[in-house]
Amino acid sequence: MGTNAHEQETIQSPLVWHPQSAADAWQLKQNFGADAVYAAGGTLLRTQWESGLAKMPAHLIDVSRINGQEEPIREHESGMTIDAATSLAACRSDALIARKLPLLAEAVKQIAAPSVRQLATLGGNVSSLVGDSLPALLVYDAQLHLFGGAGEHWEELSDWLAATEQALLSSQPASRLLIGITIPMPEGTTDSHAVAPAQEELVSKTKRFGAYYKVGRREAFTPSVVAAAVVGSINSSGVLEHMKLAVGGGQTIPRRLKELEAAFAGSELHAATLQRIYDGVLDVYEPRGDLFASADYRKSTAANLIVTELWKSAAEAVTGGW
Amino acid sequence: MGDKAADASTAYKLSCTLNGKETEMETAPARKLLSILRDDLELTGTKRSCEIGRCGACMVLIDGKAVNSCLTMAYQCEGKSIDTVEGVSAGGIDPIQQAFLEEGGFQCGYCTPGMIISVKALLDGNPEPNDDEIAEALSGNICRCTGYGGIWRAVRLAAERRRQPS
Ligand SMILES: Cc1cc2nc3c(=O)[nH]c(=O)nc-3n(C[C@H](O)[C@H](O)[C@H](O)COP(=O)(O)OP(=O)(O)OC[C@H]3O[C@@H](n4cnc5c(N)ncnc54)[C@H](O)[C@@H]3O)c2cc1C
Ligand code: FES
Ligand code: FES
Repeated sequence: MGTNAHEQETIQSPLVWHPQSAADAWQLKQNFGADAVYAAGGTLLRTQWESGLAKMPAHLIDVSRINGQEEPIREHESGMTIDAATSLAACRSDALIARKLPLLAEAVKQIAAPSVRQLATLGGNVSSLVGDSLPALLVYDAQLHLFGGAGEHWEELSDWLAATEQALLSSQPASRLLIGITIPMPEGTTDSHAVAPAQEELVSKTKRFGAYYKVGRREAFTPSVVAAAVVGSINSSGVLEHMKLAVGGGQTIPRRLKELEAAFAGSELHAATLQRIYDGVLDVYEPRGDLFASADYRKSTAANLIVTELWKSAAEAVTGGW
Repeated sequence: MGDKAADASTAYKLSCTLNGKETEMETAPARKLLSILRDDLELTGTKRSCEIGRCGACMVLIDGKAVNSCLTMAYQCEGKSIDTVEGVSAGGIDPIQQAFLEEGGFQCGYCTPGMIISVKALLDGNPEPNDDEIAEALSGNICRCTGYGGIWRAVRLAAERRRQPS
């Protein structure tokens, strides 16, 4: 059996290319077209090959070396950048991410298991279009550093997801290479504006909140049914400000619920508002259902998660004495 | 395009350290490490089960970290140090294995090599893990027999013994 399996795997084994730059990786993809795929950790690809969802390609373009020698997770004047090839394990154990991007840290902690996260990368998670890190990155207004036909360029994650979904619908998938992910931080701060140390909240009397939730079919090591992230603040008059909502999970490409963010900006946060936000999520979020969880179940789960976080934050704001 | 970018092959020579020995072997670059270990090298302590990263039976140490060998391709092992359960017990039964024996941390034993590897990675990196850390470290290892009670006890015992060597 061993020999047969070996022969089989050798025959099927793709050629593996190891480009040292984004431009080289891109060129290889241009050369081989649909016969080549980019491979980072290969964890999702392996799942697709084994399940028959995708065939092993003739060429694998290993993108783990395209980022050069810099620190893979780094802070700079305009924010924080994480190279696409950074493993989820490195993201999980990084002190800077834990401190400045706690929702991303929480999301990564809930992806797969530590052993899978040693191989799996943040770039692969984002590029999969349905990775559980996406809702967290969306509320942080993440920008993607991409390499495409026109060379290097930057794109808002939110726009990129929407455009890629459209391209998929019209069967014209774009094959852009992801180089890195940048989380902007407002000028003059060293903090993602979604994140506030507890002391700051007390001083400013504006309660800032942020949460990431993943609901699966079991407690841990499970694919998501719903993944949601919420950030915002409640001022001393109980008014909701700067709210950002992102929802995804399962095979649904996540998105920001910008229509709700705009509709409820400046609203006083009381029971009737929460009810309207709940109804709003049911209205605008369009998840894909499957045999395990219907679209309706996913909608109401998403609405519950979001409203629960807002309700908790409002309650804390009140018991916090203001 | 640089020279290195053109460096691809089907007949590929993998150089790595396996259970402490420098090793070179001809293989296919995308061959699963699990197949290399079990089928080519007959190191059958590493178990094959789901082959999609979901059970942990195939766990090995790569540079000291627990990684699923069914998800790892040969080229991803280049220059790395790989330890299997055979390597862990090369110098006699490992204290983690002893703790599993004493605490009944197994029944059929199929998940046990993977569990031992995950516990070793955990304790080597964090000698005093709390319950949350143990749960996270073992979240990728599934056991269909024990109900996990004996496994929890074995991990705690192994951690305790490391702190107080007899
Ligand atoms: C057991 C198991 C459990 C899992 N659990 C979860 C989970 O809970 N949540 C979750 O979100 N995911 C989960 N996954 C899926 C997967 O592990 C993650 O999405 C992971 O982050 C993918 O990263 P990767 O580096 O392995 O990607 P790869 O498998 O290498 O690639 C994934 C896709 O992205 C493309 N790609 C990779 N890098 C780039 C790049 N730089 N530019 C352009 N395209 C690129 C590839 O061509 C491929 O289409 C799980 C997988 C397994 C095997
Ligand atoms: S066989 Fe590798 S995780 Fe199940
Ligand atoms: S002891 Fe049988 S699967 Fe764990």
